[in-house]
Amino acid sequence: MAPVSDRPTIPASASDLELLRKFEPVVRYTRGEQFYPTDVDHYVSDSSLWEHHPDGHDDLLVRHGELTLDRLIESHPAEFGSIRYLRFVENLSLAETAKVLSDQVTLRRKLGEYFHAGIGRLARGGILPRLLDGLFSLSFLLRGKVSAATAAAAELDYNAIYEEDPKYTYYGRVTRQNGWTILQYWFFFCFDSWRSGFHGVNDHESDWEMITIYLYEEDGQLKPEWTAFASHDFKGDDLRRRWDDDEELDKTNESHPIIYAGAGSHASYFQPGEYQAEVSLPMPDWFSGLLRSWNKLWTETLGQPATNTFLIPFVDFARGDGLCIGPGEAQGWSLVLIDEFTPWVSQYRGLWGLFARDPISGENAPAGPMHNRDGSPRGSWYDPLGFGGLDKVAPPPEELQMLDANLHKLSQRQEELVKLIPQKAADLQVMGTRLKGMQGNPHLAKLYTALEKEINVLSAEVRSLRRETLENTAIYQSLARRLELIKSGIQDNPRAHIHHLAKPDDPTQVLRFDRAAETWAAISLSFLMFAIAALIFFAPKYIWTGLAIILILFVVAESILRGAFVQTVERITLILAMVASVILFIHFWKWIIVAALVIMGVSLMVHRLREVT
Amino acid sequence: MAKRKKSDKKKRPIAVIVIAVAIVVLFLIRLYQVYEPLISENVFKNGITGPLFTGWSLTEIGNTLLSSASNLILSVAGIVVLIGFLRLHRWSWVLLMAWTGMSLVISLVDYFYSHANYAVMASNVIIAFALNITDVQRMFGIRRDHGSRL
Repeated sequence: MAPVSDRPTIPASASDLELLRKFEPVVRYTRGEQFYPTDVDHYVSDSSLWEHHPDGHDDLLVRHGELTLDRLIESHPAEFGSIRYLRFVENLSLAETAKVLSDQVTLRRKLGEYFHAGIGRLARGGILPRLLDGLFSLSFLLRGKVSAATAAAAELDYNAIYEEDPKYTYYGRVTRQNGWTILQYWFFFCFDSWRSGFHGVNDHESDWEMITIYLYEEDGQLKPEWTAFASHDFKGDDLRRRWDDDEELDKTNESHPIIYAGAGSHASYFQPGEYQAEVSLPMPDWFSGLLRSWNKLWTETLGQPATNTFLIPFVDFARGDGLCIGPGEAQGWSLVLIDEFTPWVSQYRGLWGLFARDPISGENAPAGPMHNRDGSPRGSWYDPLGFGGLDKVAPPPEELQMLDANLHKLSQRQEELVKLIPQKAADLQVMGTRLKGMQGNPHLAKLYTALEKEINVLSAEVRSLRRETLENTAIYQSLARRLELIKSGIQDNPRAHIHHLAKPDDPTQVLRFDRAAETWAAISLSFLMFAIAALIFFAPKYIWTGLAIILILFVVAESILRGAFVQTVERITLILAMVASVILFIHFWKWIIVAALVIMGVSLMVHRLREVT
Repeated sequence: MAKRKKSDKKKRPIAVIVIAVAIVVLFLIRLYQVYEPLISENVFKNGITGPLFTGWSLTEIGNTLLSSASNLILSVAGIVVLIGFLRLHRWSWVLLMAWTGMSLVISLVDYFYSHANYAVMASNVIIAFALNITDVQRMFGIRRDHGSRL
């Protein structure tokens, strides 16, 4: 870890532009990435503006070729429940679809950038996640989705935009909250091709990604202390890394953090690698409740490791082996300043791409930097400190002052308590003496009861004050220790605030027999279906038993490849034992209850007799 | 008289003894199940008189032979496992768990399609849960002391 004095600084009087330039990030993409940060002007002028109404019909508000950023924010009154959206790729006819798909192949050949998944995501999950993954893929038949032709057309359009104006843009915002100077770098992409390009969860038109750098002021200079990258499955504290955490945060020239962007998803990671993102299947409440009870029985009663089998693993490839953009790289950034007064940022609340009518929103385009999909304000915009879990953290110089103030306040309170407790305790004794003197006098019964109540209240108060004294002492000691540490320049663990640390997969550790396992992962689901079909055809009488046996055999085969044979056999046997227990209980519940009562009776008798003898 | 030297051997938890007893009970039941159907079908006396299959289905004698053969395999496996189990070998725990799993599958198939053998089922349930006890798993090196698996 580098000492604080080694950190890059910039005068606090620097302009927003200078601040953003000083710390602008380097983004390393994965080889085969199809979309890079671009400017919204070209995208908007290449799009049309639409309104989706609650009754299901869509109106064209501004046609393709006529839209500008100014026209984007024109007022178009609409009823509650309507959704405004842009459309980058228009509906394609069959001939156009064939043409864009063929042009996409030509373009990729020309660019020469191919993506190879390596050990794919299917090999990283078990057979049940793969089965659920199959169902997830089938769900696109019912849900709205962005078509492969739309993805191809978007790729061609984006490349046309880039050829016309070859630059990479980010939108910079500088804001100040609670002593922190916050730099936000927003990246806009024409398309998110995670599903169609990289076997991910979803595709959607347009994509907004963001990273934040938090600076504090000391002696008239601003210094970086934290960075937070937007990422799947993580929020708050888990998004944040300290500037001096060199193992987690890569930098160039000490002032430019390096982002490893997920292929297609554009999610930001601190380290290069392949990250397993998990998607939960939407389930009814009663089923989730049932699952929770089962998990409790499984982990607490049977001592088995907790697993959520209803998660589908998807891999986010953030290898960093593709194009690099940023200071010191072959490609630099074009910077555009934005704030809440930038009209298209604050006044356009619609989606920045196709509204695919996907009820779980994965395929619908996102809204802009300042809004959520429903038009409500986006947390990362109005509460950038809360976004990175920094709302409770003071900038380092202020932390010293705050600790001092806290210690002073505690000292004062202790002095008060030292005087207050003896007074109250003496009062309590006086009242107790009076109470004792009133005993044996029936005519004083009411006064006695009232005094007794007063004594109880005062007694509780004295007890609470004494407890407070002790607690204050402990807090004082702890704060004083912290103050000493900070003054001596000793930094605490830079990852102490992280609950879940994003770690890339180690592909060599995934499976034992790489090739065989990968092939098995690709074909096992199909084989399972063939086996079930054969069972239905040849032995329909034994369908349920056959199904159970086939599933068990597949799971055991899988476990051998994963080196988890023992755990798998144990789990299967336990599940079978539980089923058998239920059957036995249904048939012999009287005997089981009688036996349990007899055993308990004997055990109790032995225990009690031991006490007697 | 010389003092008896304290044994360095690990003391077997009561669950291990219970499991060993259950294995012996199962062995005897399975052995009975090997011979009983063969005797009632007069296989020892007359040999295999009819075909084992008709089309894709097993005949009655085919079913009897299959059932006896699987019970024989389970009985022999049970004895091998019992020896390893009493000597606290890790492989015997794994084999016993697998053996119990297979035995439970057969018991459940029997329950749903023919006559259930509740004694076998109950013995298997006891063995499965007893093998899952943390102390037993530690003794056989399946689980580390702090609870994680090896």
